[in-house]
Amino acid sequence: MISARHQLALERPGLAAPAARIVAGVKVYGKNETAVRALDGVTAEFARGEFAAIMGPSGSGKSTLLHCLAGLDRLTEGRVILGETDLGTLGDKAMTELRRDRIGFVFQAFNLVPTLSARENIVLPLTLAGRRAERDWLEELTSSLGIADRLAHRPAELSGGQQQRVATARALVTRPDLLFADEPTGNLDSHAARELLRRIRGAVDDYGQSVVMVTHDAHAASFSDRVLFLADGRVVRELVRPTTDSVLDAIRALET
Amino acid sequence: MWRISWKGVVGHKVRYGLTALAVLLGVSFMSATLVLTDTISRSFDGLYSSIYQSTDAIVRGAQAYDPGASFTSQREPIDASLVRTVKAVPGVDAVAAGIEGYAQLVGSDGKAIGTATNGPPTLGEAWIDVRALNPLELLPGGRAPSASDEIVVDKHSADVGHLHVGDRVLVLTKLAPARFTITGIATWGSADSPLGASITAFTPATAARVLGQPGKVDQIDVQATPGVGRSTLVQRVQAAIHTPGVEVVSGQAVTREGQDAVHQALGFFNTVLIVFALIALFVGSFLIFNTFTIVVAQRMRELALLRAVGASRAQVTASVLGEACVIGIVASAGGLVVGLGLAGALKALLAALGIAIPATGLVLAARTVVVCLALGTGVTVLSALLPARRAARVAPVAVLQEVGIDAAPHLAARVLGGSGTSAIGAAVLGTGLFASVPARVAFVGGGAAVLFVGLALLGPLVARPASAAIGAPLAWRSVPGTLARHNALRNPARTSATASALMVGVAVVALMNVVAASTKASINDVVNRAMRADYVVSSGGVAGGSSGFSPDLARSLARLPQVSAVTGVSGGMARLYGSPTTILAADPRHVDDLFDVGVTAGNLGRMTAQGIAVSTQAAADHHLRLDSAVRVTFPTTGVRVFHVEAIYSARQMAGDYVLTVAAARQNFPLNLDFQIYVKVAPGVTTAAGRSAVEGVIAHYPNATLMDQAQFKANQSAQVDQMLNLVYGLLALALLIALIGIANTLALSVYERTHELGLLRAVGMTRRQLGATVRAESLVISLLGALEVLVVGTVLGWAMVAALRSSGITSLSIPFTRLVAVAVLAGIAGVAAGAAPGRRAARLDVLRAISTE
Repeated sequence: MISARHQLALERPGLAAPAARIVAGVKVYGKNETAVRALDGVTAEFARGEFAAIMGPSGSGKSTLLHCLAGLDRLTEGRVILGETDLGTLGDKAMTELRRDRIGFVFQAFNLVPTLSARENIVLPLTLAGRRAERDWLEELTSSLGIADRLAHRPAELSGGQQQRVATARALVTRPDLLFADEPTGNLDSHAARELLRRIRGAVDDYGQSVVMVTHDAHAASFSDRVLFLADGRVVRELVRPTTDSVLDAIRALET
Repeated sequence: MWRISWKGVVGHKVRYGLTALAVLLGVSFMSATLVLTDTISRSFDGLYSSIYQSTDAIVRGAQAYDPGASFTSQREPIDASLVRTVKAVPGVDAVAAGIEGYAQLVGSDGKAIGTATNGPPTLGEAWIDVRALNPLELLPGGRAPSASDEIVVDKHSADVGHLHVGDRVLVLTKLAPARFTITGIATWGSADSPLGASITAFTPATAARVLGQPGKVDQIDVQATPGVGRSTLVQRVQAAIHTPGVEVVSGQAVTREGQDAVHQALGFFNTVLIVFALIALFVGSFLIFNTFTIVVAQRMRELALLRAVGASRAQVTASVLGEACVIGIVASAGGLVVGLGLAGALKALLAALGIAIPATGLVLAARTVVVCLALGTGVTVLSALLPARRAARVAPVAVLQEVGIDAAPHLAARVLGGSGTSAIGAAVLGTGLFASVPARVAFVGGGAAVLFVGLALLGPLVARPASAAIGAPLAWRSVPGTLARHNALRNPARTSATASALMVGVAVVALMNVVAASTKASINDVVNRAMRADYVVSSGGVAGGSSGFSPDLARSLARLPQVSAVTGVSGGMARLYGSPTTILAADPRHVDDLFDVGVTAGNLGRMTAQGIAVSTQAAADHHLRLDSAVRVTFPTTGVRVFHVEAIYSARQMAGDYVLTVAAARQNFPLNLDFQIYVKVAPGVTTAAGRSAVEGVIAHYPNATLMDQAQFKANQSAQVDQMLNLVYGLLALALLIALIGIANTLALSVYERTHELGLLRAVGMTRRQLGATVRAESLVISLLGALEVLVVGTVLGWAMVAALRSSGITSLSIPFTRLVAVAVLAGIAGVAAGAAPGRRAARLDVLRAISTE
């Protein structure tokens, strides 16, 4: 039994490692007197197939943490390791390709290129890499996100919720190691927000997708497997299998 | 409001920087032109004043009419005996007999000094012993000519031809070429020579022989004894002379004539340069319009805020126009300064090209300052007018909303306005081209400008389908291409306005190409049809010009046994039917052997000295038949009546009027042949004929021997030379158009920061992003080039049609050249996209995606 698992791990070494981890991450903006320590020694792991949420008050460093994990920004000290890749060792081009091939993004706004149709937006990372989309995967993805009939439309012709689901489809089309979502429901009404979160949860449950989401909404966080609370650039608390109430309690506890 | 405007400019200085640069370039061209011409004319004004300082009166032949600026005498010489008469008048201190004519020096390298085509004149004159009356001042080490084979030459020619005191040099005159010894080198006042003209001064006796006529002088300069006033002197000299056709004028009057001649010569130069400066500013106005439209769109929220806190519509408009005003004034002032530097550089360049300008400081007239500031600021404010009005229409509530960029005017309004404006422009242009109205150039220029604005208004209608078509091949299997095509389509108004700026500059290039190609085709056509001569010996000069060949050359060639027919062609300007006209003259005995000018009536070969041949066109215009009388007024000899003895059709070859050599010799002051046509005798091989002719012309370093093919090539080369000059002058307008593309793209990159950041975040490489921006630039410039090909070709066709009466009868559209122009515009467009592309690629991903 043990040898079999070991065997599997040797064949697919990635399986053994977590999806991403950050070790003693420090991020300092500015210099001298004006310097701000946005991250002050953060260490965390994100397992494969896990839906993790990051919460914290404004200025706690949650967006910085996400940006550094996703290869959009670099740490001042410490390491970010995505699967087996140490992001600190990558140049701009390798980093760009890593984002294109192994990471998916959903932002709060400005998720879509206005001149491209929904379909063109979804396959953008593939076309940028000079690859074609697998038809079956694209069909499955768009129908599971409920946008299969909107593919020919321009972003301006879609509702906010539909735009975010198109963005999610784009983020997932490359089957990324990790999906990063930065306040994805921030601009949505509660109905559209719940719809989007259900679809993201579905991706985790159905395809074993790993997700890291930054949010300040307790209800959104309740869809995750685990919540990390940040304050002043440090991880101050962890909550496994959160509910809206337990998240709200934790926030209240941190504020006092 | 001024405060807000000022802050607006300072706050957006990067965005306005290139706009200001466009204005600055246009204004600097203008200011350089004005400063340079002012400087030249001021220094010549001074030069003429100092040269004629001691000349109190001048006695010379009267003119039937003033033929305008000319460096050579257009007057009948007067009797040399008058010199003694004038000298005897009480109050006359000194007199000097002036004799002028053609004399061209040959440099130590065996080449004639001074080009006959459009170059400075080559003058010969009599050395004047009275120092105060002689404009030439000997340099140390030289002396006045005293023997018949001695000369003094100007310093400029000495420098160019590497001539020194003591050298024996060949001099071309109306007689056979002869050698002279240089006894001195002189300056002309403080200048090396007047505008680079070459001057050869002979002893008075030699001058009378080689330049003028024996017993005649061209003018008598008179110096008064101290205490005698100029007007008194003029009156006394006048009273002493009883010869008709002789006038006495004061030194001041002659000074003014000389100054006017320089002003007139500069006036043309000035007009041409100002036209190109205006083209540059016109192109710039598209750029300014575009920048303000984009910046206003980007600042909708800010402007809405102004409205929300209580600014009226008029105040918002005023604040935007105020910004335009600030930019206009700052850029114009900058342009003025840069222009001053440019003028200095141009002055040095002209000096290096041999057009010596006396050393004086640059002249910055108050008029220059006013014109440059008013023009630069005016163009900027006018171009910003529409965007400013659009800014005022922002609703205050827009401060709370996401507003769409660029509310484009109504389609119907655009079609109506665009076609209306185009029609007006085309009508004005057509009037200028085809109708006989005063100030045709103004009609043509104004009409073309209005037409361009109209076409620019219509542009967006074509821009959408055209950009889609142009972008299609780019978009094929390429993400940057697809995005670029979409971006160009996104805002057709902006794409089109940017492309239009390029169109204006390149359309003039295309137009000139069509005109040039048609001119060349017409020349080839005429030479093929009308020329029977085997060879042309050309001096490079023009009919009535100040240089050419001594009639001796044609006579020598005619004596060759290998040659069957020869005629020199000379000519000059005279007044016919109220307007100055060029008249050619040839030897009638040989014309039929050498030309086929398509005689429709009469006999050219038997024309007499009382006869004139006219073109069918002139015959139709003035209702002339064989034997009709034609009154010709010559500047020198006055009215002469000729009778029509032949009518011909090939006016491109022969012009409208042809006289015999005999008639020309009597009535034109200089009788130099500018071309000689030669036919080889039957039975003589071309090679033998050619070498015989070459043997004779070897004594004339200013002669070029050409067969028919070479002659055609030579004429084409002259057309190309003009074309290159136009290219040079248009370079600035094209540069501004390219700055316009770069500026629009830079503003677009700025506007699309979020979008570009997103692309980078989802995995677009820097290289791909840069390529996207460059591809959009390519689409824009190809759109501009496409418009150019259509507009430029049509305008060129109209121009050629208008020039039909001037001898351009064949329309030729140089497709390969036009395509080359389009390709170059495309390449330039990609180059213009390079900087914005780099900027886009350098974009910080994180900052781009984070919300403001």
